[in-house]
Amino acid sequence: MHTFDYIRLHSLEEVAQHLAQGPGVRLMGGGNVLLLAIRRGEEAPQKVLDVKTIPELRDVRYHHNQGLKLGAAVPLQHLATGLEVRRHYPLLYQTAQKLASPQVRNRATIGGTLAWASPVSELAAPMLCYDTVCYLWSPRGRRDVPLHAFYLGDFRTVLMEDELITHVHLPPPPQRSHGVYLRQTVRHDGRRMIAATAVWAMRKQQNLTRWRIAVLGVDDRPKRIPEAEAALEGNPHPEDIQRALEIVQAHIHPQDVIYARADYRRVVLNALLQQGIHQVIHQLQSMRS
Amino acid sequence: MISRKPHIIGKPFPLIEAQRKLTGRSCYAGDEKPRSGQLYARILFSERPHARFQLHHVEAARSAPGVAALLTGQDLATRLGAQVEDRELLATAEVLYVGQPLAVVAAETPEAAEAALARIQVTYEDLPAVFDIEEALQGRVQVHPHWATYRGTDALQGDPRRNLAHTLRFRRGEPEDAMARAHVVVEHAYTTAPLHHAPLETHGAVAHRRGDQIVMWVHTQAPFLQRAVIARALKLPLNQVRLIGQCVGGSFGGKVHVSIEGLLAAIAREVDRPVRLHLTREEEFSATFITPAMRARIRMAADAQGRLVALQAVYDWNVGASVDLFLHQLESVLLAGTGPYVIPNVSIEVNAIYTHLPPAAPMRGLSLAHVHWAVEQHMDELAERVGMSPVDFRLWNLVKGGDKLFPHFVMHATGLESCAWETTKAIDWHPEAIPTGPNAMTGQGMALGWSPILIMPGCKNRVTIQCDGEDLCTVIVDGMDVGQGYYAFITQLIAFELNIPVEWISVLPTDTDAYEPEWQAVYQNLLWSTGRALLRATQELKRQVLSYVSEMWEEPVTNLDIVEGDIISYATRRRMSFRELLERGSGQGAPLVFRATGEYAASTDGGALDQRLQAFAATGYAAEVTVNMKTGHFVITQLAGAVDVGHALNPEGVRAQLKGGLVQGISTTVLEKMEFEDGRPISTDFMHYPIATTADLPRKLYPVVVEVPQSTGPYGARDVSNHVIIGAAAAIGNAIYRATGVRIRDLPITAQKVYDALQRAEKGQAP
Amino acid sequence: MKHAISFILNQEEIQLTVDSHRTLLDVLRDDLGLTGAKQGCDTGECGACSVLLNGVVVNACMVLAPEADGAEILTVEGLADEEELHPLQRSFIDHHGVQCGYCAPGMLIAAKALLNRTSRPHEEEIREALVGNLCRCGAYPDIIKSIQVASRARR
Ligand SMILES: Cc1cc2nc3c(=O)[nH]c(=O)nc-3n(C[C@H](O)[C@H](O)[C@H](O)COP(=O)(O)OP(=O)(O)OC[C@H]3O[C@@H](n4cnc5c(N)ncnc54)[C@H](O)[C@@H]3O)c2cc1C
Repeated sequence: MHTFDYIRLHSLEEVAQHLAQGPGVRLMGGGNVLLLAIRRGEEAPQKVLDVKTIPELRDVRYHHNQGLKLGAAVPLQHLATGLEVRRHYPLLYQTAQKLASPQVRNRATIGGTLAWASPVSELAAPMLCYDTVCYLWSPRGRRDVPLHAFYLGDFRTVLMEDELITHVHLPPPPQRSHGVYLRQTVRHDGRRMIAATAVWAMRKQQNLTRWRIAVLGVDDRPKRIPEAEAALEGNPHPEDIQRALEIVQAHIHPQDVIYARADYRRVVLNALLQQGIHQVIHQLQSMRS
Repeated sequence: MISRKPHIIGKPFPLIEAQRKLTGRSCYAGDEKPRSGQLYARILFSERPHARFQLHHVEAARSAPGVAALLTGQDLATRLGAQVEDRELLATAEVLYVGQPLAVVAAETPEAAEAALARIQVTYEDLPAVFDIEEALQGRVQVHPHWATYRGTDALQGDPRRNLAHTLRFRRGEPEDAMARAHVVVEHAYTTAPLHHAPLETHGAVAHRRGDQIVMWVHTQAPFLQRAVIARALKLPLNQVRLIGQCVGGSFGGKVHVSIEGLLAAIAREVDRPVRLHLTREEEFSATFITPAMRARIRMAADAQGRLVALQAVYDWNVGASVDLFLHQLESVLLAGTGPYVIPNVSIEVNAIYTHLPPAAPMRGLSLAHVHWAVEQHMDELAERVGMSPVDFRLWNLVKGGDKLFPHFVMHATGLESCAWETTKAIDWHPEAIPTGPNAMTGQGMALGWSPILIMPGCKNRVTIQCDGEDLCTVIVDGMDVGQGYYAFITQLIAFELNIPVEWISVLPTDTDAYEPEWQAVYQNLLWSTGRALLRATQELKRQVLSYVSEMWEEPVTNLDIVEGDIISYATRRRMSFRELLERGSGQGAPLVFRATGEYAASTDGGALDQRLQAFAATGYAAEVTVNMKTGHFVITQLAGAVDVGHALNPEGVRAQLKGGLVQGISTTVLEKMEFEDGRPISTDFMHYPIATTADLPRKLYPVVVEVPQSTGPYGARDVSNHVIIGAAAAIGNAIYRATGVRIRDLPITAQKVYDALQRAEKGQAP
Repeated sequence: MKHAISFILNQEEIQLTVDSHRTLLDVLRDDLGLTGAKQGCDTGECGACSVLLNGVVVNACMVLAPEADGAEILTVEGLADEEELHPLQRSFIDHHGVQCGYCAPGMLIAAKALLNRTSRPHEEEIREALVGNLCRCGAYPDIIKSIQVASRARR
């Protein structure tokens, strides 16, 4: 492997100092993406900064009024085991359990995973549904960016050179909500994603509202389709569902990959979405009023 | 041989080396402790599929810091091959595939070796390349224009102008006439994808020239074969190359033939220090062997009563730049090419076709899996056309004991029928598709299969057993344990035959110096040939022991026996521990040593193909799939596989092999494909060459052991490991058809292919 | 850059100096001579190099050596207690959980991590816990069984 200096960081100030030195400096969370890129010669940083040792980035805080705040260095495995996640953000919990392997989840961090910004990043799906906000920090200060605005496509994000993710915030989950995550991958452990979707909604009296549809593998970034969400608002009838599906199709741009054609990814997404929407409707309607 | 049920044999018996493996003490490639003065070898590989090339700055590389030796094709122009020398050890002027070795270096550190190779600049003058067999057969581009000059090609039926490496033909009756008169004729082509053995342990070895002998510690399946090939390539007598077999972390056929070992031997010859070579994962995928893709064109006909009347089959294999390693497979394909059925009129043609892909090597029964992928889907279609169930149609036409299949081969008793019954029963067979969800259909399919046990000409196996006071009982073998339980099998048989505790027995690492360097050891169907050699060795050893005691006790040998580690006399009831006898020595201070060697060679060495044919292993499969009719996505819910092993000497071991084979069967049926882009492999890691994980296992997996004893096998046994896989793909394909009404004729079966076929069917196009 | 690091390896304190860019796997295998963790892919795909890092399973090929500073590490070599095999190892022997054996050390470590958090996992949990460990021999069914039996025997 290309040589570099590994540096353990202990505070945001230290991050600022190093990042100020310009290019050649890379942040490392779990290193799953970064080390691979270095090994393949795609990246050749002089310094690798480990952010896992910054105490505030390891924070996990839940409050029923404020929601869940997770440090960027929290490993994904926490999302697959944490009690508060399981109880209040079941969609995130279920998705995390299916994500990669225990070996990867124990290392991969929330910050590194979001910054990776892959169109097939599974963490993004539930996080988009839960209206996650990223806290970005740089010496110039903090800014909060909703996750759906964080991705710029093709593995790019709004992160500036000297900026890092410190936390993500998930607002308090409403009562009586339900979400599902569905994927079709070539290998059943999640490898080679054809398409995936997370569908989420809540029930208010007799209405199903605040629909969320997040899609993976069918565009240059993980994304929500708000226009389709709007079409489902209220108590969706079969025509509404059909219209939502059509809207989704109009808003995605899948690519051919060696294991799946773009048109097939559309078909798969459509089937998964349809199934997801019906499951959510069914679950919410069978809840006692 | 009678099939008695001995006391150890037939009972669970764990792998003896398992303990070392499970405590991390086994020595795989890359695990060996660095030897003092050790050098590290690296290889420079071609990046073009077909080009004239030149190496520049070779001298700069040779004089780079830390370099001890460097070889290119200019320094060492020699060819490589077991039967046909259609590979170069190092490319001399032209490269024929991406991943072909251009130079090998040995240096003080791996980094120094890398750095030296980085100094070499390669310029290529690209030449037209062919990757497709049809195109290759047109002969506009010749892969091997000088083919006829290679050693071994005179024994082949090939035509270099059409890139035909070898053709085998079999004919019986009048298939053309029979086709013309038949009630139904079904004709289709079936294809498969190139695959990779993808062992978790990448290729590696250590070599050290000591005096005029090159000693190599190799992690391969066939040290004797490799020694012969290496020695010939380096123009050395056999006794100047010595291979010592080490623990193998998966081979599946990928570590039978010489790949890096030849280069390592060549570079080690240049220095007098140990040299180590260990491939990276990327190199393993891109610079060893692939298992070739097949195209089968099948016409099969039946009469109105559902009797098979004729088969015409052409099996074409894309063997890449080398057929050498695949020749033996072509013979198996020819023998098994009808499937296990009686067909009066047959013509089979098996072709190996050169292209500019990496050299082909067989993989664990997969060539036969691909034959059955075609024949067994075809059988289902014919069954439907003649209005019979898949099971009935097969049983109606099945090969049975006593059938004269080839001039020199009469079929023995076989468990084919039981394989069909037992596997279909296991998955609770129901012939109709069942809706199992809003868009889901569940269907079942079955397949039978057979696999020839064929001894290569000139091959033997030997087993030597030595009993002495020091090590009690040591065994020298010429085969390798690659995870199939070979050593356990040997230990078990010796313990039974000599009637001594298994703890006394240790199997020594396979070492080519243990025997006179005169023959090639068999490396497949080992149970078959080693088993028989072993029986001869134990009989001889026992004879020696008992006659020694008979002199000592002055009793006739016929009174004596070894029972549970004791030597006893049935007449006088005298008893003494065999171990004590050994430890006490001869009494005159000299150690007491008994030593016996048993040998087995195919009795009709070098004869016609059907004379080398020993038996057919029989197999059966049943699969169940649930398919999403909107997307083609499917899940294999059940898979049963049966092998008629003759006699399960180690039933749990057999079942373990069966389960493993079925999992590999699933993996190669639905996931695996070596992808190339203009001849360049792009499946060079496990992300781009996905193999099955625990998430891909069916809910229910049934290993079924069928035992119809083989009168000529050791204890009536046949081999297992290679045969397990052969019908899995076909059974899954038939299940997909049953569930959906569409047939996939191109492996691997993917959801997208099922979807496409469903779409075509909906539009009324041919499925 | 060099790092003087110390960690507990199989209950033994280790001190050594490592370069930044080397992985924990390199150090275990090349510097410490512990070759139980295997090098199968170098991309985090195969799990053959699984070790426990502070009680959780990770791929040692994806951990930088200096990250091990202050950590507690268990490799397959530390699984057996003195001369007594770990129940998982026993069970792998008894139930054919090992064929070629190359994946076995990683499988054992992944299994140990699972049993650390769930004392009696059901089959589905075992399958999920092993998705990151490839076995080319396809021995998964017997590996799963070995783990299941071992976990039952523990009570
Ligand atoms: C074998 C394997 C299997 C996988 N399978 C799946 C799967 O099935 N599904 C799936 O969704 N994913 C999968 N992944 C991808 C995995 O989710 C990501 O690799 C991982 O989550 C990345 O997180 P990390 O912390 O390791 O990132 P790192 O490699 O540490 O970092 C990734 C990028 O983010 C930057 N970065 C890190 N931390 C921060 C921060 N706090 N702020 C700003 N930038 C930062 C780094 O500089 C780098 O550019 C798999 C990965 C592997 C290796």
